[in-house]
Amino acid sequence: MKPKYKPFAITAAILLSLSGVVHAFVNEAISIALEAATPYVEQGFEVREDNWSGEVAPGKPLLIRHQLFRGNEYWFWAGTSWPGATVKIDIFDNEGNSVGLESFAKRSFAGVRTLPQKTATYFIRVVAAYEKKGAGLTAAERGANDPVEGVGEYKGVVDWGVVYGYR
Amino acid sequence: MIEMFQTSIAPFFRILLTGLRLGLVAGTASPGLFAQEVEAPAVPERIDLTNFPGELVDQVVVPIPAEIFAVLDKLDEPDWNSGIDLPPERAKGGERSVLALTFGSLVAEGFIAVQAKNGEEIETIGRRVLSLSESLGLAAAVRPHSLSIIEAAGKRDWEKVREEFDATQETVRTTMETLRDDELSGLVSLGGWLRGTNVVTAFIGSSYSEDKAELLNQPGLISHFREMLSDLRGVSAASPVIRSIGTGLARLEAIIVEPGGIAEEDVVQLRDISRSMLEEFYFNKTATAESVSVPVP
Repeated sequence: MKPKYKPFAITAAILLSLSGVVHAFVNEAISIALEAATPYVEQGFEVREDNWSGEVAPGKPLLIRHQLFRGNEYWFWAGTSWPGATVKIDIFDNEGNSVGLESFAKRSFAGVRTLPQKTATYFIRVVAAYEKKGAGLTAAERGANDPVEGVGEYKGVVDWGVVYGYR
Repeated sequence: MIEMFQTSIAPFFRILLTGLRLGLVAGTASPGLFAQEVEAPAVPERIDLTNFPGELVDQVVVPIPAEIFAVLDKLDEPDWNSGIDLPPERAKGGERSVLALTFGSLVAEGFIAVQAKNGEEIETIGRRVLSLSESLGLAAAVRPHSLSIIEAAGKRDWEKVREEFDATQETVRTTMETLRDDELSGLVSLGGWLRGTNVVTAFIGSSYSEDKAELLNQPGLISHFREMLSDLRGVSAASPVIRSIGTGLARLEAIIVEPGGIAEEDVVQLRDISRSMLEEFYFNKTATAESVSVPVP
């Protein structure tokens, strides 16, 4: 390795070794959801700063209530940062009917688009899934490194975050 | 050690990791690639909301006024400049719950000024936001946003100004939550919602249509705010301003939940009630203003 690349390599190595620690302090799930939103910002969607996030047992569905306005178009994006976890998101009206017009899901991020037919409260369903558990995890799946002081250790829940945009 | 990491280094890593990921997502999440690589998930046509087999998230995200303004702009051509109504600046200090409500309303005033593309008013509001944040002890967190608002207004970059007003409100709310001032955080949202509702009702009242009036159908949000006020404890709970706002919300709710849509006279009532509520902490009281301390019918 040429000497001029060494500082970068060392920095990258330190970063990668600490990535498990970083998971504990940065809302990575929201960061991933925001990254999923990036291509849509160019299409004119204004992404809100406020968002929803937390931790949930894998497979347990979450339901978010949210006010939407007829006349706007909305995208909701979900993310999870837990290695190996997947996330899905869909949207229903206040009678439980699916109102998503378009959606995608790709491992750690997903999105759903809707055009509300009335101004009302809608329900966004988020499901974060994770199948491997406990001793079955590799070091990388636990968060790139052995846990530090309990950080990055799988405790039966995965993180999730949802952001939305409108135009 | 962990706390030190969180406060001093974590923001740096966040930026770095986000940068690394952006490269990844830019290559994978562009709409053109979705068709090839991304699964379109199977979605049930219907779910039973009364017997949902999961967890209802209790966190409520309150829409910013700009979301409703965007729809009004599609339905009509409101004269947003006529909607700007920045009250005279008050002496610094005062009850924190009132300051929090005022902060939210001031940010909403900013959203109105952005809609009007009124750079001069936006700059004034940007400075007032900073001044008010000093009274709340949050100036350090708000200053960068305030400066960005003023700079973007100077460049007539309205999208950036809107983003910064949203970010300002979010920064104030999260900083309050970090300082265990969750109650005040909710009041910021309430102040913003109230000012936004007031200007929207004024526009709809002056050129009524059912489509526009439907925008006011927000019983879930009013119910959330009422619940939030009833959960207040300590000094805020005993504040006469907060009690008046609670009464006003009950009156707004009584009009909105009535079956049969929101009629023109309802919109006028909503406008007058929201104005009276704002006169409790934001606008100067007018002689003709209806008092919100009237008991709920």
